[in-house]
Amino acid sequence: MDFLVQQFVNALALGGTYALLGLGLAVVFSVLGLINFAHGELMTLTGYGIFYALFLGLPFPVALLIGVTLATVSAMLMERIAFRPVRNSSPTTMLLTSFAVSTILHILFQNLISARPKAIPIPDALAGAVTIGTLQIGAIQLISIVVTALSLLGLTLFLKRSMLGIAMRAAAEDFNVTRLMGVNANMVISTAFAISGLLAGVAGILWLFQRGSVDPLMGFLPVLKAFIAVVLGGLGSLSGAVVGGFLLGFIEIALRAYLPDDALAYRDAISLTLVIAVLFFYPQGLVPRRESVR
Amino acid sequence: MTLLAIKDLVVRYGAIQAVRGVSLSVGKGEIIALLGANGAGKSSVLNACMGLAPKAGGSIAFDGVPIERETTEAIVRRGMTLTPEGRRVFAALSVLENLEIGAAASAELRRRGRENREAMFELFPRLAERRQQLAGTLSGGEQQMLAIARSLMSQPTLLLLDEPSLGLAPNIVDQIFDLIASLKTRGITVLLVEQNVELSLDIADRAYVLAGGDVVMAGSAQELRASGGLERAYLGAA
Amino acid sequence: MSRFLKIGVSLAALAISTATGALADDVLKIGFAGGFTGYLAPYDQPTLQGIELAVDEINNAGGIDGKLKIEVITRDMRSEIAQSAVMAQELIDQGINVMLAPCDVDPAVAAGQIAQGAGIPTIAPCASTPTLPGIVGDYMFANYTADNLQGTALADFAIQQGYKNALILISKDTPYTEKLPGYFAKVFEAKGGKLADAVEFKMGQQDFSAEVTKIKQLNPAPDVIMTAAYEPDFPAFIKQLRSAGIATPVLGSDGIDSPTTLALGEIAEGVVFANAGFPSAGSPLAKFNDAFKAHFGQESSTVYTATGYDVIKIVEAAVKATGGKTDGASLREAIDNLENVPVATGTITYKGMNRVPLRVVALNRIVGGQKTHVADVTPNGADVPPAE
Ligand SMILES: Nc1ncnc2c1ncn2[C@@H]1O[C@H](COP(=O)(O)OP(=O)(O)OP(=O)(O)O)[C@@H](O)[C@H]1O
Ligand SMILES: [Mg+2]
Repeated sequence: MDFLVQQFVNALALGGTYALLGLGLAVVFSVLGLINFAHGELMTLTGYGIFYALFLGLPFPVALLIGVTLATVSAMLMERIAFRPVRNSSPTTMLLTSFAVSTILHILFQNLISARPKAIPIPDALAGAVTIGTLQIGAIQLISIVVTALSLLGLTLFLKRSMLGIAMRAAAEDFNVTRLMGVNANMVISTAFAISGLLAGVAGILWLFQRGSVDPLMGFLPVLKAFIAVVLGGLGSLSGAVVGGFLLGFIEIALRAYLPDDALAYRDAISLTLVIAVLFFYPQGLVPRRESVR
Repeated sequence: MTLLAIKDLVVRYGAIQAVRGVSLSVGKGEIIALLGANGAGKSSVLNACMGLAPKAGGSIAFDGVPIERETTEAIVRRGMTLTPEGRRVFAALSVLENLEIGAAASAELRRRGRENREAMFELFPRLAERRQQLAGTLSGGEQQMLAIARSLMSQPTLLLLDEPSLGLAPNIVDQIFDLIASLKTRGITVLLVEQNVELSLDIADRAYVLAGGDVVMAGSAQELRASGGLERAYLGAA
Repeated sequence: MSRFLKIGVSLAALAISTATGALADDVLKIGFAGGFTGYLAPYDQPTLQGIELAVDEINNAGGIDGKLKIEVITRDMRSEIAQSAVMAQELIDQGINVMLAPCDVDPAVAAGQIAQGAGIPTIAPCASTPTLPGIVGDYMFANYTADNLQGTALADFAIQQGYKNALILISKDTPYTEKLPGYFAKVFEAKGGKLADAVEFKMGQQDFSAEVTKIKQLNPAPDVIMTAAYEPDFPAFIKQLRSAGIATPVLGSDGIDSPTTLALGEIAEGVVFANAGFPSAGSPLAKFNDAFKAHFGQESSTVYTATGYDVIKIVEAAVKATGGKTDGASLREAIDNLENVPVATGTITYKGMNRVPLRVVALNRIVGGQKTHVADVTPNGADVPPAE
C-alpha cells in the first residue's frame, strides 16, 4: 500500500512537469497550428540564464527569475524573428522553421558557450524530504507538485478572467473570427509565445533542480515527451495537454514500478504502444479541441 | 454620403479568380443587399473588405479612407465589422464570453462592455436566459443571434452580414430580417449578403447581383424586381 | 548560400592542394572524424583540444624525431553514424596515415571499418567499449580505459571496503551504462560479494522516483550502489536517492568526472569514482593540465583533453618505432607492440593486450566538493572479465 501511494505521488510530480511542458507546446499550437520543436531550447536558455546569473554572483532566487524571464523573452523574440515571417506559409514550412531554430540554437550553445555541461549548484535546502506518515516526499517533488498546481491555476484564471485570455481561447477556436472582434493578432500570438516561454522556464527550473547542470541538448528529450503528451491529450487542446501530461507520467511510473525486470527494457515500447492504443480509441486525443466549422 | 466604396476589386485564390473587378458603394444609413448564386463571389467580397481574403487588385475605401492595406483588427476599430457566413460563434466560450470578446477592439468599448451586453440581452431576450451556456450548445437560430450581437458589441457604423438566414427555420428567418431592418433605426448601415432574394429586397434600399465574380445587375429593390432578370442571374451562374 | 558554399569549397580545395602538393612526403596526416556538433560534442571537442596541444608541441620541436611534422585534418560527423562512415572515406581520400574515430562505439565502428578496408590504422580516443577493436579488425585500436578494466578496479575497491551486498543501476541504452556495471557485478560476485539487484533506468529520464522507491523496498538493503550513469542521469538519481533518506555509499564511473558532480554539494559527499588519472602534484597529468592552461588560457574541463593528447603520443611512439615509416601496415604493427609509452594520463601498453590498452585506473573520492585521490590501481589481468 505504501509502495502504491509513494508511486502515486511520484507519478503526480512527474506528470505535472510533463503537463507544464505539453501546455507550453499546446498554447502555441492552439493559436498558430505550429508544434514548436524549439520549445526545448527555451528550457535550455533558462538553464544558461541561471548559470550566468549565478556566475555573476546573484542570489539564487534572482537567478531563477532571470532564467524564466530569459525563456519568456526568447520565446517572444523567436516568434518575432523566426515565425512571424512564415506565419501565412504552410504548416510544414513553420514546422521546418522550428527545427531550424532548434538546430541553430544547439550549435550556438555548443560553440559559443560549451559543448560540456555547465554545473548549476542547487542549494542543499532543496535536497531534503518531507515525511507525511510513512510517506516520504522529496523537497523537489513537492515543489514540482505545488508549482505545477499554481501554474495551472494561474493560467486558468488568466484564460477565464482576462480579456486577453478569452481572446486566446477564442483564437484557438477560430483565429480569423477573433480578429473580426478587433483583437490584435500579433498580440495574441506574442502572448501565446510568452506563456509558452514562461511554462518552459518553470518546467526548465524543475528539471534543473533534478539534474544540476545545463548542456546544449538539455531540452531535446523533454520536448519529445511534451509532444507525446500533447498528441495524447488532443493537439491544440489546453486541457488535453494537461491530461496527456499526467497520463504519460502515470503510465511511465506504473511501468517502471510494476513491470518485471525482464520486460523493463521494453518499457518505452510498451508506453508508446499504450499511447497508440489510446489514440486508436480516441483518434483526436482524449480531450479534442473544439473548432468551429470553417 | 458614401460610407463604403469598392472599386474594381479582384480577389484571387491561387489560380481561382473569385471576384473579377467588382465595384459597389454603400451610402450611410442604407441597407444594401448583395445577391447571387452559390460561388458567385459574395463572401469573397465581404472578406476582402475585412482584409481576410487575398486582394489582387482594386481599391476599398471606408469613410473616405483607403483600407485595403489595413489589418482586420484595424478595420474593425474604424467601425466596420463582419458577421461571417455560418455564424462561427466561439463554441467553447459561454454566451457572455462571446459578447465580452466582441468588445475587445478598444479600451473605450471594454469599459462600456457591461452596459452594451445588457443592451444586447434586451435586444435578444433568448440570449439573456442563456448567458452562462456554452455557445456551441445553442440552437442554430440562437447562434445566429449571438453572432450578430457579438458583432454589434463593437458598435460598428457599417455591419457586413454574410447569409444570416442560412439554415434557419422560416419564423426565425423572419425575426432576423426584422432585426436587420431595425438596425437602420439605430443608425447602423448594413451590407447584406443573402440567398433569400424576396426577404432581402423587402428590407433593402438597393441591391447588387453577382454572377461569376462580376456585378451583373444593380439598382433599387423595385427596379430589380421589375426587371425580372434575377432568376436568369441565378441560373446563369449556377 | 550557394555563393558562400562555393567560396568555402574552393578555399578548402586550395588549402588541401597546397598541403598535399608541398608537403606530401614530409608530413604525417592524422584524420579525425569527430562529432564536433551533436551529442558527441562534449567528448570530441575536448579530445580535439588535447590533440591540438600535442601536435603543437611536437611540431614546435621540429616534428616527430625532429623531422616529421604532423598535420591534423578534421571532419565533423555531426554525431551521426552514417556520416561517420562518409567522413572517414573523405579523410582516407585525403591520404591520411592514421584515423581517429568518434567517441562512441557505434560511429567508431562505422569509421573503423572503412579504414580497416583501406589498411589504415584507427584509434578511438575515448570510446571505452572493450569489444570495439575485435568487432572492427586488426587495424582498430582503443585508447581509453576499457569498461571491463574500470569495472574490475571498482569491484576490487568494493571488496576491499568490505561491502557484501551490491546493487547496480544500469541502462541498456548504451554498452557503457549497461556493461560496465555488469563487469563490476561479475568481479564482485567472483570475489565473494552478492548482487542484491540490478535496477534499470532510461537515459535522460528526468525522474528516478520509481527506481528509488524500489530500492527503498529492498530487504536486506544493499550496502553499496554502483552505476555508470552520468549527466544528467547521475545527479538526478543521487539527489532523489538521498532525499528519500537512503544513505548507501555510491560508486561511479569516469562519466561523472565533471564539475556538475562536484557542484552537487552535500549530496555527492563521499562518492567514489574511477577515471583515467588523478593529477597529483608532479604527475604527468598535472603537467599536462598546466600546459593546457598555458596554451588555451583556461583550465581543462575534462580528462578527455588528456586522453586526446595521449592518442598523439601513441602515434608519435609508433612512428619512432618504425624508424620513420608511415605506411598503414608498419604503423599498425608498431602500435600493436608499444609498451609503457609515457602519456599525459600515465603510461600505455598495447603489447599482448589485443589492441585494448593497459593503463592505470585512478580512484577518486569527493570530499567537500573536491576530488581527492584514493588510489591508482592496475587490476590483475586475470581478474578482468573478458570483453562481451
Ligand atoms: N479560401 C479559398 N480558397 C480557394 N478558393 C476559394 C476560397 N474561398 C472561396 N473560394 C472560391 O471562390 C469562389 C467564390 O466563393 P465565395 O465563397 O466568395 O462565393 P459565395 O458567393 O459566397 O458562395 P456561397 O453562396 O456558396 O457562400 C468559389 O469558386 C470558391 O470555391
Ligand atoms: Mg458565401
